[in-house]
Amino acid sequence: MAINFSGEFTTPRNQDEVFEFLSDPNKFAPLLPDFQSMSMQDATHFTVKVKVGVGNIRGSAEIKMELSEAVKPQRAQYKGQGSAVGSQVTVSAGFDLLPTPDGTRVAWQGETGVFGKLASMAGGMLEPLGRKNIQKLIEGLQKALSEPLAIAGGAPPQNAAPVEAPAVSPANREVPPEVASPAHTESQPQPPGPSTGDDSSPKGETNVAQDVSPGSARY
Amino acid sequence: MATTSHPRSADWVGQSIKRKEDARLVRGKGKFVDDIKMLGMLHIVFVRSPYAHANIIGVDTSEAEKLPGVVCTLTGQEITKLIDPFFEIGPAPSNRILDYPMAVDRVRYQGEPVAAVIAESPAIAEDSAELVRVDYEPLEAVIDGEIAATDQTLLHPQMGTNIVWNGVYEYGDINQAFAEAAHTIHIDHLHMHRFSSTPLENNAVIAQWDDSDERLYFWSNNSFPTIGIQLLAPALHLRMDQVRVQTHDIGGSFGIKITNYPQMAVCALASRKANGAPIKWSETRSEHMTSSAHGNERTFRDTRVALDKNGVILAVDSRHIDDCGAYPRYEPLGCVIWSQVTPATYRLKNLRIDFTQVVTNKCPVGPNRGYSRLQHLWFLERVLDICARELNIPADEMRLRNYIRPEEFPYTTPNGCVYDSGNYPGMLKLAKELIGWERWRAERTKAQQESRWFGIGIGTTLDSGTNNFGQSQIVNPQAPFSGNSQAASAKLDIYGEVIVAVGSVPQGQGHETTVSQVVADILNIPPEMVNVRVGFDTERNVHTGHSGTYASQFAVSGLSAVNGAGRLLKAEMSKLAAFALQASEDELEFGVGKQGPEIRVRGTEKAIPYIGLANLANVNTAVVPEELRPLTLNCRYTWRAPFRVPDVEKKYGNLTLTYSSQLHIAVIEIDKETYIPKILDYAAVDDCGTVINPMIVEGQVHGATAHGIGAALMENCAYDENGNMLTATFSDYTPITAVNIPNVKYGNIETPSPHSYSGAKGMGEGGGAPLHAISAALQDALWKEGIIIDDSHNNASTLYETIRKKRRGELKQNVQVAKRGS
Repeated sequence: MAINFSGEFTTPRNQDEVFEFLSDPNKFAPLLPDFQSMSMQDATHFTVKVKVGVGNIRGSAEIKMELSEAVKPQRAQYKGQGSAVGSQVTVSAGFDLLPTPDGTRVAWQGETGVFGKLASMAGGMLEPLGRKNIQKLIEGLQKALSEPLAIAGGAPPQNAAPVEAPAVSPANREVPPEVASPAHTESQPQPPGPSTGDDSSPKGETNVAQDVSPGSARY
Repeated sequence: MATTSHPRSADWVGQSIKRKEDARLVRGKGKFVDDIKMLGMLHIVFVRSPYAHANIIGVDTSEAEKLPGVVCTLTGQEITKLIDPFFEIGPAPSNRILDYPMAVDRVRYQGEPVAAVIAESPAIAEDSAELVRVDYEPLEAVIDGEIAATDQTLLHPQMGTNIVWNGVYEYGDINQAFAEAAHTIHIDHLHMHRFSSTPLENNAVIAQWDDSDERLYFWSNNSFPTIGIQLLAPALHLRMDQVRVQTHDIGGSFGIKITNYPQMAVCALASRKANGAPIKWSETRSEHMTSSAHGNERTFRDTRVALDKNGVILAVDSRHIDDCGAYPRYEPLGCVIWSQVTPATYRLKNLRIDFTQVVTNKCPVGPNRGYSRLQHLWFLERVLDICARELNIPADEMRLRNYIRPEEFPYTTPNGCVYDSGNYPGMLKLAKELIGWERWRAERTKAQQESRWFGIGIGTTLDSGTNNFGQSQIVNPQAPFSGNSQAASAKLDIYGEVIVAVGSVPQGQGHETTVSQVVADILNIPPEMVNVRVGFDTERNVHTGHSGTYASQFAVSGLSAVNGAGRLLKAEMSKLAAFALQASEDELEFGVGKQGPEIRVRGTEKAIPYIGLANLANVNTAVVPEELRPLTLNCRYTWRAPFRVPDVEKKYGNLTLTYSSQLHIAVIEIDKETYIPKILDYAAVDDCGTVINPMIVEGQVHGATAHGIGAALMENCAYDENGNMLTATFSDYTPITAVNIPNVKYGNIETPSPHSYSGAKGMGEGGGAPLHAISAALQDALWKEGIIIDDSHNNASTLYETIRKKRRGELKQNVQVAKRGS
């Protein structure tokens, strides 16, 4: 099960400052959602421990990460692989930096792969959970980068750019949801879509922001 | 002395007596593997692969071994030094597969065991399993059978291909049939989905290696232990006699517990490593869903059908791709077993099937209920219904034009199988009566005028039972199997009780009850006076290499053996009683007196109770004359089916002894708001020849019906493109429950089999009739939408997607009438 995601935001910091932040695992890793701890193996290899939990499946994930590409000051790319609650998780995340008159535009994209028990037992819930966690990560990044370096720690500047909706396009969208469809039980989950058969269900990219509204925090 | 005080029926066979087993089972007194507790018993938990396909870089068990309560661990690499790969049934190149009970250097399906932890409690074992570190290098997963056949990514590189087996079955003259056909119809693709069984009891085993007698003891719920031992013993470097297998109560198998022998092997190795401690493995439901066994998934490609001007099918030409998952295990037997029912219930003479089986990165398959035949039967039922609709012939009429007629039995199929008996038109007539055919037809007309999605479907199917193992030689001429056999023993024990044992492995089929009915008739005593041993035990010495419970055969093979043993016992009892009563055997009659079962001299008060006979044979032997001393009142009988080895080159021969038949009718409406298909009415007619116990037969028909409805509308072993199983829990797999089962209108007819001593035919698997009937009903409901039901699994989501694609013009045309006659 793979979840692809992408989006962009702007920061008032300059390109070098943003690159330095994003290419420093010590600064980047703690922004991972439900971060617990990390240990550095060398300048580009580190292991992070994060909490994971979907429904009753809960535990810690230990992910071995690598800063696999660092092209100063345009691009930083991480990849990693780890295990959690009988499952394997692969992560890749890349950041492309473009200077703008007001700072830097950060275009980010990545993919998370989940294999094993988590995907099997919580497959339908992983996509919105992934979206939520990506949103958290980007929000954290944006917050950390929201101020010019000189005033970091102060109040956010009024002109900080809003988070743009990251787009999520799960690779397995074509797999039909395995909703219960008993032969003659009326109380079972409804199939997707309107009764007319016309397709108004979401297609292609989905706005993450819609899925992290207060009422949607189901996990 | 009155000698017939105990009232009895003339024939216990044929009566719906209550099941003997239920007295203990419904009161919670059944004994299942997980109920067995032994001193010093340890528990094993498997560490399973999260990947469907990956190289194993390393396995580190050190942290797990540090946890208090952990006794030892096993890894795939380690067991290669302790066990040989299991014997492969298939020929080259599939016999190059190295099938160890745990993955060694590569995992090939999600859930494949890579290591095992043995601990003092299940909880400790579970916790410690999470501490085992496994490094993987993910590989591309091959999920689709047709893609697997292209060999772009190999699962077993030493095999050089993913194709386990390929062969062409050709009978009659296909080319001439097509040349003479009035109509020809092409069907691009049909697909039988992957589903499984959900027995109440998961797989379980206890294994103990006893160093003192150098024997291996299993308590298991394997449903075919005699083949299990044939696979296990050589792999473990043991003689057959060193392995004892016992079963007791089993909470369902439906065939898939035949393939739990790899876990039995790991438990045996664990016991050896743990200095002979008994090792228990009790499978969780999620493990069962992901990694026990699934049914075969099959795709039917490029089907051409030739029909005459009346819609009689003259020929079928098709290409079938069977997906057996990561390891063949019981396969490639499915590559031939479908041909037991080559023409289904029809007078189809010309047929060509190019059959290919492949491995994919999915759970290995097992012989799931209706094994391999239901896939083929569903295919031919779809072919028949699609052709009927294209030619505008009503589904019932189409069947009547094509059915094998009652007067044609015994009927020899194009591939040499002999259908013993049947009356398919009679079943259709009865099913129509049960369901109220005319009323539903009128309702259908009205519904279609109202643009409702309303359909009626018929499914006719076969349940071939008591197979000829010689068919294995069609897939592998070197296979050392043929024929079929079963053994049973009947004895009077020292206190004169009748004890019967048989080599079957009952899992809820009521064997204790039906065995007692057969023996009761032989000895003229009530069934409660017949004690039937529960479960299976190699130590009883009442099994053959074919013994087990599978393939709808107990009523034929099992009860034939019991009948033979019972008659031998009766003959010995008669001889001994004649001596004791100083009468001739012709003067004796069997019955029940005031002191219990006895043999008496007809018309007199001279009688000897069973205990008296047993005394002569077992205790007071010196009074017995020399010529009667060979009598033991302990009689073993081996029944052997009258089979020959099939012609391997021509793929021709009788592959099965009996053919039960089923005909189901389903009335379904699809809700246009929710797309939920709702069964409005359902009828099931069964013909299993002479019925031993009507209540048990009806129960098994209900079970098979429920299983088939669940498969047709709810249950699907779905995988994503990476090989993650998406339906690994009941929440996602949605197994059918009592709430979802319609009120089944049941009927039965009896066409006694000439091939069994009693006229009975094996039954219970059911032939997947609900899949056929429901696909047909959905087809009927959606025909006007221009939709062909080409998949055996249809729930609200899939129906919604299909209808949506059709309306968007995204549905590829699946059926073409290539030639349409007048």
